[in-house]
Amino acid sequence: MNALDSLVQPHRVHRRAYTDPDIFAAEMSKVFGGAWVYLAHESQLPEPNDFVTTRMGLRPLILTRDSDGGLHGLFNRCAHRASTVCQSECGSTRRFQCSYHGWTYSNRGELVNVPFVEGYPPEFDKADHGLALVPRLGTYRGLVFGTLNSDAPTLAEWLGPAGPLIDEFVDRSPTGRIEVRNCQRMIYRGNWKLAWDNAGDGLHPTFAHRSFLVLNERQHGGARSLSQFKASPDDTGMYGLDLGHGHMFVDQRPGLNQSFWETQRPVPGREWYADRIAERFGEEAADVLDMAPGSMVNLSIFPNLLIKGNHLETVDPVSVGETRLHTWVAAAEGAPDEVNVLRMRIAEDFPSLGNPDDLEIFERCQEGLAIAEIEWVDMSKGLGHDAEQVSADGVRRAPVTHEGPMRGYLRAWLELMSSDAKLTTVRAGETSFEKAA
Amino acid sequence: MGGHAASVLDDRLYGRLADLVSFEVEDRGPADQRLQSAAEQALYHEARMLDERRYRAWLERFTDDCVYWVPLDPVADPRTKVSYCLDDRRRMADRIGLLETGWAHAQEPPSRTVRTVSNVEAWPLGGGDTLARCSTVVWEHRKDRLTPFASRNDFVLASLGSDWAVRYKIVRLVDCSGDVRKFSFVL
Repeated sequence: MNALDSLVQPHRVHRRAYTDPDIFAAEMSKVFGGAWVYLAHESQLPEPNDFVTTRMGLRPLILTRDSDGGLHGLFNRCAHRASTVCQSECGSTRRFQCSYHGWTYSNRGELVNVPFVEGYPPEFDKADHGLALVPRLGTYRGLVFGTLNSDAPTLAEWLGPAGPLIDEFVDRSPTGRIEVRNCQRMIYRGNWKLAWDNAGDGLHPTFAHRSFLVLNERQHGGARSLSQFKASPDDTGMYGLDLGHGHMFVDQRPGLNQSFWETQRPVPGREWYADRIAERFGEEAADVLDMAPGSMVNLSIFPNLLIKGNHLETVDPVSVGETRLHTWVAAAEGAPDEVNVLRMRIAEDFPSLGNPDDLEIFERCQEGLAIAEIEWVDMSKGLGHDAEQVSADGVRRAPVTHEGPMRGYLRAWLELMSSDAKLTTVRAGETSFEKAA
Repeated sequence: MGGHAASVLDDRLYGRLADLVSFEVEDRGPADQRLQSAAEQALYHEARMLDERRYRAWLERFTDDCVYWVPLDPVADPRTKVSYCLDDRRRMADRIGLLETGWAHAQEPPSRTVRTVSNVEAWPLGGGDTLARCSTVVWEHRKDRLTPFASRNDFVLASLGSDWAVRYKIVRLVDCSGDVRKFSFVL
């Protein structure tokens, strides 16, 4: 594993981290198995016996809620001949039956029926042939995570200083809960870490999103969405954090000189819904309206959850050079319907006008990374700079255009990739569950 | 007209869009043959304008209360679910304006497209509007790749003939629930 050490240096990362299929295979086990991986949000399976299908790295998974409300991470693989046993994205059921030979499992993973069971050896015991389960599951404010690593820290320790920032995100809702609605699914031809590099990158908006900046200035004028990146972003007070364990934070709020709502680009229905909210809420209308736009921060929970705007975006690797981004939209539970209607339209705005330019650039990066003789990707901006502050809990803070958050997640990546932690699955009833918050 | 007018999207207009979604529940029966050729004329012209990237002229064919909608969940009320986009006239103008900045990297180089429009059917709606429905495949070529975008499109046409005008355009991608390749041109 020492060969890996040479791939991540303080100021740069080797191209092979983005292009080598063997490294990708190791990541799918050691990172997307050895770390706490985000699986889904509890609001996607609110009732007893609800389920959603998802993936943990490349492993198909069914996250279920049993009849008593408990959560289970079932690998979607028949214990018999490996066929997936669930084909739906979500639904409600107590049983999963494999279509191949009829083996039937409970939503806790127990094998409850094997047709024509005569003929199996005498020692065949159904208790040994249930679905395999994720050994450790945990929740934090409705976010569900799982890991296959018994040596991993607790979920609370893993999230560390990212926890209170998750709190800020969900506490924008009057009830302190979000409700995950549906999802925009995009795919790009590039390594998953290109999305990760980008999520902690406050240097790119000025250039990568120039079309969006120019459009807003021409059509709508004033300080609209992203205009804080127009000139000298570091003079605005915006900053980035390396939160440890690979988690990153970019705070655009210091760059705003007006409310979230005033900053938000005009979206369809803006005027009519703002008028309704003004009629209903009078003096409180401004606060109500400020629940509609995104949070103006990017909070990235390593290795696969990017919280931005009002979105929970999952980074779902397909192969070393292909990645899915699933952008789940969060409604504010307890907010007036008008706010959540606006949230739906706002959730279409930057994702359809701005994100295509990001994805295009990820593909251009992957294209450039094909050149074997040019080995290094530079991430040195801010390294050793006076402006970097390290707080008591190890959080490193620097101006928004510095590349410290990227260096931070790559340190966490290297640590996971260098680990020999044993990854396991368990049988029904053996999962340990942590409610971190 | 133009990009600066206030949005006309209100609860009543959302209600009309939700009604259009609920039309899906029942078979509308055979199309109205008298309307069909006029609908074809409008839909073919619309497709050609987009293939030729005459976006401003295209936008002029839409009414002031227009909606361009690409749903992700083809049977959901758009008030409760996010779409790929649900644009009023102002955001349609923004979508075009973005391409005109010259800095839209995802369209550098620009896509070349050709649209195949088929299975055109039309029915009268109340108030003189016409519902026209077609199957469309947009073949996009960009860089080294040819990508098809297959959809069933619903148009509510406010008028027909040489002055044809669109009130609503709804693009129901066949793979709207799957992983869609990024696109920033107009479907």
